[in-house]
Amino acid sequence: MNFKKQFNEGLLTKNPVTVQLLGMCSTLAITTSLFNGIGMGLAVTAILICSNILISALRNFIPSQIRIAAYITIIAGFVTVVDLLLKAFIPALSESLGVFIPLIVVNCIILGRAEGFASKNTVLASAVDGICQGIGYTIALVIMCVVRELLGSGTFGGGLLNNGEGIRIIPAQFPAMQMVMPVGGFLTLGFVIAGSQWLMKRLEMKNKKKEAAK
Amino acid sequence: MKTESNVAYILRLALTLLVITAVVAVALAGVNSITEPKIDQLNAEKTQQAIEAVLPGGFDTEITDYTDDTGLVSKVYSGANGYAFEVTPGGFDNTITMMVGVDSDGKVLGISIVSHTETAGLGAVAAASTTAGEAFRSQFVGMSGSVSVSKDGGEVDALTGATITSRAVCTGVNAALACAANLG
Repeated sequence: MNFKKQFNEGLLTKNPVTVQLLGMCSTLAITTSLFNGIGMGLAVTAILICSNILISALRNFIPSQIRIAAYITIIAGFVTVVDLLLKAFIPALSESLGVFIPLIVVNCIILGRAEGFASKNTVLASAVDGICQGIGYTIALVIMCVVRELLGSGTFGGGLLNNGEGIRIIPAQFPAMQMVMPVGGFLTLGFVIAGSQWLMKRLEMKNKKKEAAK
Repeated sequence: MKTESNVAYILRLALTLLVITAVVAVALAGVNSITEPKIDQLNAEKTQQAIEAVLPGGFDTEITDYTDDTGLVSKVYSGANGYAFEVTPGGFDNTITMMVGVDSDGKVLGISIVSHTETAGLGAVAAASTTAGEAFRSQFVGMSGSVSVSKDGGEVDALTGATITSRAVCTGVNAALACAANLG
């Protein structure tokens, strides 16, 4: 088991959003304010860790023919629990994310990690995988939120700072409304993916140079 | 590999799935029993706050014998200063539940949005407690008869990029005004 490798994979080289391109629906839809991004990221991370642990623990018990049905039932259970808890204790976040909380059930990141990782690895490794992939997802969302919120609404930290209005950076008449609409989501996602590819290539070259120097 | 008859194998699949769904169902029932009272209480508080926000002095009674031609009015509350109507116009992708206060002269006292599923950052602004949201909602105060957005020849400035939501709010206000006119 290699925690550092898992961490690197979750954050960059196998980032669920920028490399695996999983869970695009929520990624494009809710990244309009910092509050949404952090809230969604944490909700998905919590569900991912729980479902990874349980599915990994049950991996020898679930026959492979019904594994998808079993995974979805388990995931839907966790999602509903989170949905109910948010409604009861953080109603502002539940309202802001709306239907995208129940839709985590069909977020491919969770089923993807269950099928691709948790069903083949130990409980501990699966838990670590959930944490790393969750952090990677959250970071990608937060980057997209910050960019789209700044260009689309002209603010930073909407829903969190300054009584929920966010700190105004660009005067209200200038921001491009398109950035918080679907088209802005696709544009931002493209740039974020390009940025992460550039970063990966750079790191790779550095590593090669190091090896060559040896 | 252990050999299993077909029937036993199918039964094993069904039973495994049954056990998993049963455990999940029990767990959900447990969580629901904890969160349900809390969620109900929050919803009741929200309705209460929404009524107080649109009807100064709050309400005394809920009226059940009202005439509603639009089919959008779901609840009517009567208070010393007028009425509060809970209306449910169709928004961008689902119904918006909103409260409209109307005084005895048929003028809008105020509107507040109880729940909605409008697009975050666009239609959702109508319900937000931000400056833009307050400005949108406060322009209805004092209006009477029939309201519509400026695009449709009315006096309401629609929210940027959310004409459908703005129209839906106007529809809700109109339903409340019509119902108030029937009440006299």
